Amino acid sequence: MRRALPEPVEEAFAPTGWPEGFGEGPEERGAVAVLASLRGITPRNLHRLCWREESASAALAAIRAGRAGSDADRAHALVTDADSIVGASSAAGARFLTPHDDEYPSSVLELDDPPVALFVRGARVDVSERRVAIVGARRCSSLGGEIARDLGRRLGSAGVCVVSGAAYGIDANSHRGALDAGGRTIAVLGSGIDIGYPRSSADLISRIAEAGSVVSEYAPGVPAEPHRFPARNRIVVALASALVVVEGAALSGSRISVDHALDLGRDVFAVPGSVTSPLAEVPLALIRDGATMIRGADDLLHDLGVTVPAEGERPDPPIELPDNERRAWSALAEPLLPDAVARTALLSLPDAVAALIRLELRGLVRSAGGRYERTLLGVQARGDHPPADRRAPGSA
Amino acid sequence: MVTRAAGSVEFPARFTLVAAANPCPCGFDGDQRKHCRCRHDRVELYQQKLSGPLLDRIDLRLRVPRLTKQELLGSEQGERSGVVRDRVQEARERQLHRYESIGVACNAHLSGPLVRRHARLTPEAEELLASAVEALALTGRGFDRALKVARTVADLAASQHVGVEHLAEALSYREGFGEESFARAG
Repeated sequence: MRRALPEPVEEAFAPTGWPEGFGEGPEERGAVAVLASLRGITPRNLHRLCWREESASAALAAIRAGRAGSDADRAHALVTDADSIVGASSAAGARFLTPHDDEYPSSVLELDDPPVALFVRGARVDVSERRVAIVGARRCSSLGGEIARDLGRRLGSAGVCVVSGAAYGIDANSHRGALDAGGRTIAVLGSGIDIGYPRSSADLISRIAEAGSVVSEYAPGVPAEPHRFPARNRIVVALASALVVVEGAALSGSRISVDHALDLGRDVFAVPGSVTSPLAEVPLALIRDGATMIRGADDLLHDLGVTVPAEGERPDPPIELPDNERRAWSALAEPLLPDAVARTALLSLPDAVAALIRLELRGLVRSAGGRYERTLLGVQARGDHPPADRRAPGSA
Repeated sequence: MVTRAAGSVEFPARFTLVAAANPCPCGFDGDQRKHCRCRHDRVELYQQKLSGPLLDRIDLRLRVPRLTKQELLGSEQGERSGVVRDRVQEARERQLHRYESIGVACNAHLSGPLVRRHARLTPEAEELLASAVEALALTGRGFDRALKVARTVADLAASQHVGVEHLAEALSYREGFGEESFARAG
């Protein structure tokens, strides 16, 4: 697969992980807390500084002395004390983790620019747990949203934790799917742990904090800013063993996540779309570059080697539809205007509209932008596409 | 009706409002060819400019998608407007006749209780309406207005009763604007 060019490293390289004893003991913990609250220095530069200075306390001293970091960081470091940060973190119901803590996930240490600290709300991030990241467009299509939700649901019921970024669209749907199934899910925020951003996801984030875990590398009070979201993606990917891209337009954040996945050697899966759909640009480019194409949850679980718990989970047998509805359904091989459905299905326009509305009330089709299209539920319920594991019985 | 400190003045007017709007600031939300570049919260803000109560009073809402080449070239010629005019006149006459005793000219002018009395739904249509109230989250006003449109569709089809196909068509006109970004939120 084609790899993104690494960014030029002008300073001396830093080894992976952290120096011996980093973040261990009260003084180091305090220093890590203050370092985590700096807004000017990038995680990469902070990581290098910590290796150069060999401890968090020494790195903080260097910043306070003006030997590293920006003036704003220096001013901030001089007036900020660790207790206020750790206190604000507890007040937000979060645990403050340094790399020395057992709960700090070791897979995150594989990053070139690992977070100096993590703030975690909710359940402990289990070391042994299997995790899959799902990312994609914020402005996803209705179908893309359904696919993400279905992936989340199926991973959740198969006991795989779903990691995503709590953003609108694909992210939110993946988390919701996992929650629907009573499964585990982790949301990685691009803002301070106490800030529910985006606001449209605030409720979702609190539900994840109850049923799963919410993670951020940012100290309480750090606002959401555009550059924090690409940075957040590296943690989403690092926490997981595989990355699934559902929809993404060219030049989108999904591509950044994929670059991280390649750097970290994670498996990349992509859900394809139509070659004419702008939202299929990233997934199709990924598939062409060697990512594994999946048509849905069955393919993904099969490829991950995850055994699906109960055969009773299979969708109900295909729904029998009245004649007009069946004909309208068959016509919808692609999204169509109602009059095109009428022509293709050989129905009068009023009959076609009536059939479409009834199909919509059954949840099998939806109206999107003036045309009617099949829903994922519809495709599954009608059994038009046999799931992958029927193709290869017993191989999962 | 205009109300100011000095008092209220009524300006009686019967009008038909015809309006067009873009789905989002860039105009490409839901387009199959060109990806909309608007932030989702901007789309919501944009669509919220038309408030729910206002939209609820607009009876026929249609999404007009970009047509593909096949759709542009392949569509049959529409009806001649003279034919449509005759059909509309017949429907108006049917309504005049039906409402003669109550002094109302057409479906649009019926009050809520009268709509429900005169709609004459088939049992099948009643059933569809019941499920639509839930599925489409119809308001009381939306319910009455959908019924009036359904009655009109039936009149245009010269049908005594409002059948399921008439009601379905009426319901499909209540869907054109404002729901999609919510559906996407999942």
